[in-house]
Order: sequence, then structure tokens, then C-alpha cells
Amino acid sequence: MRQNRRDFAKTLSLGTIGLGLVPSLLYGRDLIDGQPVVKDPRYRTWSEDALREARRLGCTYADIRFTLNRSHGLAVRNGQLTTSGSIGFGQFGDNETYGFGVRVIHSGVWGFASSPTVTPDEIRRVVSVASDVARASARAKKFDVRLAPVKVYDTFWQTPIERDAWEVPLEEKLALLVRTTQAMQKNPDVLFANAAMNFNYEWKFLATTEGSFIEQVSHYASCSMSATARKDGVVKSRTYNPGTETRGWEFIAGADLPGHAERVAAEAVEHAMAKAVGSGLKDLILMPSHSALTIHEIIGHPTELDRIVGYEANYAGTSFITLKDVGNLKYGTKLMNVYADRTHPGGASTVGYDDDGVEAQRWDLVKDGILVGLQTNRETAHYMGEETSRGCTFANHWRNYPFLRMPNVQMGPGPAGSPTVDQMIADIKDGVLVDGQGSFSIDQQRYNGQFGGDAFWEIKDGKKTRMVTDFSYNAITTDFWANLDAVGPPETWEHHGMGGDAKGQPVQSNRPSHGSAPMLIRRVMVGTAFS
Amino acid sequence: MSYSRDEVKQITDKVMNMCQADAVEVAFSGGERSATRFANSSITANLIENDQQVNITVYYGQKSASATTHQFDDASLKRTIEAVQALAKRRPDNPELMPPVKPPQEYLDVEAALPSAVNFGPGERAEMVRQSVEVCEKLGVLGAGYIPKFHWTEATANSEGLFSYFRYADASFILTCRTPDQTGSGWAGTTGVKDIGNIDARGLSEVAARKALQSRKPRAVEPGRYTVVLEPRPAARFLQLMLGSLDARAAEEGRSFMSGKERGETKIGQKVFGDNVTLRSHIGNPILRQSPVGEDGLAARDVTWIEKGVVKNLFYSRYWAERQKKAPTATTANMSLVMDGGTATVEEMIKTTKRGLLVSFFWYIRGVDPMTLLYTGMTRDGLFLIENGEIVGPVQNFRWNDGPAVGFNNISMLGAPVPMHTGEAYDNPGTALVPPMKIEDFTMTSISPAV
Repeated sequence: MRQNRRDFAKTLSLGTIGLGLVPSLLYGRDLIDGQPVVKDPRYRTWSEDALREARRLGCTYADIRFTLNRSHGLAVRNGQLTTSGSIGFGQFGDNETYGFGVRVIHSGVWGFASSPTVTPDEIRRVVSVASDVARASARAKKFDVRLAPVKVYDTFWQTPIERDAWEVPLEEKLALLVRTTQAMQKNPDVLFANAAMNFNYEWKFLATTEGSFIEQVSHYASCSMSATARKDGVVKSRTYNPGTETRGWEFIAGADLPGHAERVAAEAVEHAMAKAVGSGLKDLILMPSHSALTIHEIIGHPTELDRIVGYEANYAGTSFITLKDVGNLKYGTKLMNVYADRTHPGGASTVGYDDDGVEAQRWDLVKDGILVGLQTNRETAHYMGEETSRGCTFANHWRNYPFLRMPNVQMGPGPAGSPTVDQMIADIKDGVLVDGQGSFSIDQQRYNGQFGGDAFWEIKDGKKTRMVTDFSYNAITTDFWANLDAVGPPETWEHHGMGGDAKGQPVQSNRPSHGSAPMLIRRVMVGTAFS
Repeated sequence: MSYSRDEVKQITDKVMNMCQADAVEVAFSGGERSATRFANSSITANLIENDQQVNITVYYGQKSASATTHQFDDASLKRTIEAVQALAKRRPDNPELMPPVKPPQEYLDVEAALPSAVNFGPGERAEMVRQSVEVCEKLGVLGAGYIPKFHWTEATANSEGLFSYFRYADASFILTCRTPDQTGSGWAGTTGVKDIGNIDARGLSEVAARKALQSRKPRAVEPGRYTVVLEPRPAARFLQLMLGSLDARAAEEGRSFMSGKERGETKIGQKVFGDNVTLRSHIGNPILRQSPVGEDGLAARDVTWIEKGVVKNLFYSRYWAERQKKAPTATTANMSLVMDGGTATVEEMIKTTKRGLLVSFFWYIRGVDPMTLLYTGMTRDGLFLIENGEIVGPVQNFRWNDGPAVGFNNISMLGAPVPMHTGEAYDNPGTALVPPMKIEDFTMTSISPAV
């Protein structure tokens, strides 16, 4: 049965399928040469009719968003294609979903409705339902929605890709994953060898009563591999996770999963033999593959303006940051420079325009250690007195309503000549080098975080000595960044895309990226989870 | 949007008749997901989502593939079927592929779609928000809440002649109240309610608002081991942490807490929790009224997972059961889950506690070491210090590192089970009957000033 309770949960929170519902030219080679071939005039006509109907019903704002999402995932375990598993928040398998959502403001309040049946009659019906929902909501409103002004666009945007992953034969994809797991299995202590790749394609057509018609095509690729080893009764794993990028097949090819197989297998075995790190204050070197998650949790989330003003109080939480902190809060040392960027090539949340129709942009969040900016959208910009939106509105599905989602949040590298990892190690008496992502947990205001990782090496008296295990560290956000003592030079900066990020009610998944150079953080409390 | 048994069967029959394969399975799901969300005592989102789909699986020997369409016109179905048939033939053989389930399957008759939930609309939800906000304003707090509603139909048909059908409707009311000075926060909620008359928006708002007021300006107390009184919501979250370990395959493959000493062995028959821990799936439970349809359309039956602390059963999937020459369990560990309770009230748990904590909510729980069921998480939305049998005041939130492997051996009191969602969010099925519980020696490792 496809729809057991677990699968049903995935279905509700994500998309499912509908092969061939939209002209096949959407998927294919025609997109590679950069020609905007998607422009089907029906969507413009349907949109104009929908927005006209919304105005007739008294809506002061309306938009209609047609979306097609297609995902394709392959997972191989010990050389065998499996049918289970997940990447991110269940975005796995061969799925396709197509439909539209209508968002309106009536009586000063939002209303939203959606449907998988894309016909003129159904569009009119859904517009009417969205309007009715908004009017019903008005009985419990305290304030009217205020939208920041936006420029009007009539445009097409797409992810630049070199090779369309949908055109790569199934056999070629499968062979790469099988080769990867077989190479890991050559190590006799490896119990399980896993390798997976996942692709997502999104086509979106947004029309608003502001006058915009925006069509976008996005391609996402991700892959990962892991080995689980058992040695003397102890079971541990090691992962190589290149993450998610808005790219085509070239991202998978560049990640070179088979080339990492021998190392990953050997490090899994080493992990199973590793001694516990113990607890106490230690200096940490965080590699970019690890710090992406730390940046996400204790910089990305607390700088979301909707959290700060209470929109997420019932679920994702609020923030330790207050509006008065902008321009004043000392977030970390002067080495700390963080910016938001929805234009970064390959960034997992890189787009042309957000779901409010605001153009993608880059702006500073932390400058020389001081909080200077926040993530905003049209609905929230006014709370911090800004005239325009930073373009952070996003819905992961036609069925879902759009709201404020995190862009790529990046930690800038140190200047040329900043300490390399080897130089950082030489400057540490008692520390740990942390690679990859593991356990993570953070309070609802993003102040007290506990992070694990995937692999850990002890540093003693200026030397990297041996792999250790049972590692976690506790980060009290501003204390943690106040101990930032070194950030690597530009050539060591790496970018890591996240597979998923849950927020909102109903919960939606988002894909931000976080880049950084290796970082040295002094005197961090380590190991309390295991002590 | 509602789908009758006959309407669904017409759709699944039509799809099966169009397929050309050794075997076919068609899973239908569809209906309405709606929700109203509010914050700062005003509605911020209100929505009605409709969706429908058929997921089509075709089999050729040991090859298979699945695809789904949301459109049920002939042309869409034909394109989907042709695509999935072509894809299946290109797939490598899957030695773990199981053939469709054969009828007959005797499903328990469960009435899970009551009119009050089916007809629960945006106007009724907005009225609940209005009632809640009225309480919040009277008590001087800000309300942020969520009222999700499902009216959903699931069905499975296959070429062996099997047909299962289940329709349900439920709703939840979940509220966080915060004081305007942001120094206090309180939670209250009820989830998976089949009869909307059982949602008391005003009463829940009173509870959340008073918690917020009582939790203002918490003081810091030292981390360490505490007696904790878990109200039903944190108890449900804590319970959920062990459900993943009830899979027989993971246990026998040596990668789970339920693994035995040697590979291939499990902890079935071993006492791993305290005498007062009994956990079972009670299909047809009159309060939960959840699906009687198990894995791949097998009829779900009652299963006792843990009895007086002893592991009685693990979940054997159809494939793993065949390989291990056992009967498939059919019922997964999260179906109609009931944890036996006791006779204590939360007030009695507090009165009998010399020094401890009353916990309103657990947040952001993540695994630290799956083999030992070690997890970390935070308290949130109301944490109170108990001394000499009385609540003496609010305290700052704690990060904890603990888990059911230890905690379920340290339960000293249990209350009456109530419906409560076990998951982090409330959007999918997951409500179980869970009692409040008092656990000794719970490990709080650090403080957070977060409110």
C-alpha cells in the first residue's frame, strides 16, 4: 500500500505526482539552451481572469501561483536499489505535483485556497473560496495586513544548468551509486554502505494584482553517501554529504561520490574504534560542512523578522533578537560578517523572484560583529521601518500558502592571509576539529544550541592526533560568536546547501544554503550530552 | 470535498482496467486540509487546501514502479500509466519486492468522520480564534495559535481484488500565550479531536494564558538531575522517541536500541522498561478512531509492543517477515497507540514531589545516540520549580539530555491517558492516548534564558 500512515504524512507535507500534466517541453532539453520556452499563454489568460474576479469580489490584493514540482530520488544500499529512505523532509522518490494556489487580502486579512484541478471554472471557484476565507477571518482580526511596495515585472528566470539531470539515463545514475557503495563495501568492517541522489525541478508562474507576471524554472540536485561500520561490537558511521545546490547533473558529477568511498569507509571504521572525547572547555575548529548548520540555527533563524514579531510563536518560536537590537547588538567578534543572498550561484534558495514578486537580492545581516539587518518580506518590512521587502516570501508547493522563509545566509571569509586550518591547529592546545553535521537542537528563541557533527579529531598541543567520538558542544549564541577567534581566507570558503528546513503551520520545507570558511571558536563547552 | 466508497472504487477500478502489467496496486487519497493560524491575537493565515491523487504501482516480476497523478481524466491517467509502465520495465529487479496483498482482509469498522468535524469551516475556526482572543485580552496576554482540520479519504485497491477504504475527519486547537513584556509563555492544546464539541477553545486559552502569566520572569536554577512531572504534551513527545526502535529489521540487523547482543538477535522477551510501562496499538479505540488498514492493505490488528516493561513484539514488515519466516505484523507502531496510565493526577504528582520540575512542553528534540535512545531537547512555554509538594515559581528553561531507555525505567507515577499528538508538528496523523507521567532523575544539562 502506498498510503500507509507514514507515506500519508509525506504526501501531505510534500508533493506527489502527475506525470504529463503540463506540456512536456517543460522538462527537457529546450531549457538548457536558455530559451524561455515555457511561456504558455493560457497561464496569463487564466491569471488575468482570476485577478479580475478577485477584484470584483472586493479583494484589495490577489495573486495566483501555478506550480509544477517534480522530484526524482535514487537510494542504493549495499549495491541494491532501495525503495525507502528520505532526503530532507521526505523529498524522496519519483514524485510530481501540479496545481495552483490563490492568495487574497479581503477586509484587511489574508485568505488562501488551492486546487490540483487547473481549469477556468475551478480557478474561479478557488478565487471565491479564498475570498470567503479571508472574509470569515475578518471577525478575528486586530490589524490589517500592510504590504511594502514592489516593482512590477513581466519576466522569465531560470536556474543556469550545464546538463539536465532529467536527461541522464536511469542506468547511469544507478551505476554511479552502485559503484560508490561497492567501493565502500570493500572495507570488511563496513556493515552498510549507502549512496543517494535526489533531483527537484520546479516550474512556477506567478501573477499579482500589482501587475507582475513572473515565470521561473529552478533545478535542484543533491547527493550523499555514508558507511556504517561495526568494530568490536561498536557501530558508528561516517558521511560525505555535498548537500543541495541549484544546479544540474554537473553538481553530482563534481561531487565525485566514488572518489570518496575508500576514505569514508575507513573513517567509519576509525569512528567505531574512537575513544570518547570527554567533557570540558575546548577550542573548536568548525569546517564549513559543519558550520553550515550552526549558521543556519543561530544566525539564520533568529534574524527572521516574522519570528521576531511573534508570527511563529506557536511553532518554530520567536527570537532572542528584538527590533531595537538592529544596529546595536554585538552578535560576535569583529571577524563576524554575515550576509543574506538569494542571488548566489548554486545557492539552494537562489531564485529570480520570491513569491511576492520581489527580485532576489543580497544584503548584510551582521557587519564587523554588529547586527545590521534582518530577513523581511512585503508583509513584515514595515515592522522594522524598511520601505521595501528583502524578498523572502516562499511556498514549497502550489497547495501551500507563501510566507517568510530563510534565504542563503553566508558567513563571509576572513581577508587574504587569514589563518588556514593548519595554522589554526598549530595555535590550539586542547581542541577538536569538527566535520559534517550530526545531532542538532536549539531553543525556540535560538539562544541555547547543542550540536554534534559527523566526525571529530582531537587536537593536542598544536597537533591533530586521533579521531574521537561521543562529541557534542553547547553554544549560547552571542557568547559563542564572541569567542570567534579566526576565520579562514577566501580560498577556503565553501558553500553547503541544506536539504530541508521546517517552519510554518501547516509545516513547509525550505532549502537554504550556508557558506563559510573554516572557523576557530575558543573555549566551548564540549561533551555534556554524554557525560 | 468528500469521496464516498463507491466514488473511490470507480476511480481505482478505472485505473486498474487501464493498466497492463503482471499486477497493479492503486492507492487513492484525497480531501481537504484546512487551517487557521493566528499570532499577536489576530489571524495571520487562513486556508483551505484541496487535493486528490491516485498512486499507481505496476509490477513485472520483481520489477515495479510507482507514479501519481492528481488529475483523473482519461488522458492524464493514460499518460501516467504509460509512463510508470515504461519506468518499471527499466528498473533492476528488486529482491525485496512483495506482491500485492491478497483478499480477504477483514477490516474493523471504524466511524471516524463525524459531521461536526467534516463541516468544521473557516467561519467556525475564526469564531474559536475570537473566543480565544477574548480570553487572552481579558487576562492581558497575546495569543498565537493553530487550528488545523483534516477531512481525508484513503483507499487501496489491487489486481488481486483487494479494496480498502477509510475516511476520517479531525481537528486540533493549539495555543501559545505570551505576555506583552515577553517574559512569560504558556502552552495548551488538544489534538486529533473527532468531535469538535470536545474542543474547548475558551478553557484551553485560560490554561495557556494563566501559564504565561505564572511563568513571567523565571529565575535560573542549576542544571542537574530532577524529578520531572511531564504534562501530556511533553509525555507524548518523550514516548514518540522510542517508536522508531520497534522495527524488527533494524533490530535484527544490529542497528537499533532493540538489537540483541549478537547480530540477528533482538530484545523481544527482555525487560527493558519499568513495570508500569505498557504500550499497545488498539485498533478501533473509541477515542482515537484511527485507520484499521495496515501495511499494504493488510488488516490491522491489536498489538502489544511493551507489557509491564517487557518487549513483546516488534514490527515485521511483509518482506522482513517472509525472509525471517514470521507473520507480518500489519500494524505499525504508530497506529492507534495507547500507553497505559495510572490513577494519579498532575496535582498529586506535584504534591508528592520534594524537589522537581513541572514541564509544559518539550521542544526541538533530536537524536544524539540512536543505539541508546539518547536524545536532547529543550523545555518551553512554562517550566515551574516544585519544592516540598508545591509549585514555588517559574524557572528558566533547560536543555536536557535523556531518553526513554533511562526515563521509562524511572517512571514513579502515571495519570489518566488523554489524546495528544506525539509529533513535533500537528499536521499529520499521530495522536496517541498518553498519560501525564512523573519521571525521577531526569537529566537537565544547561540553562537557556529563552522564553
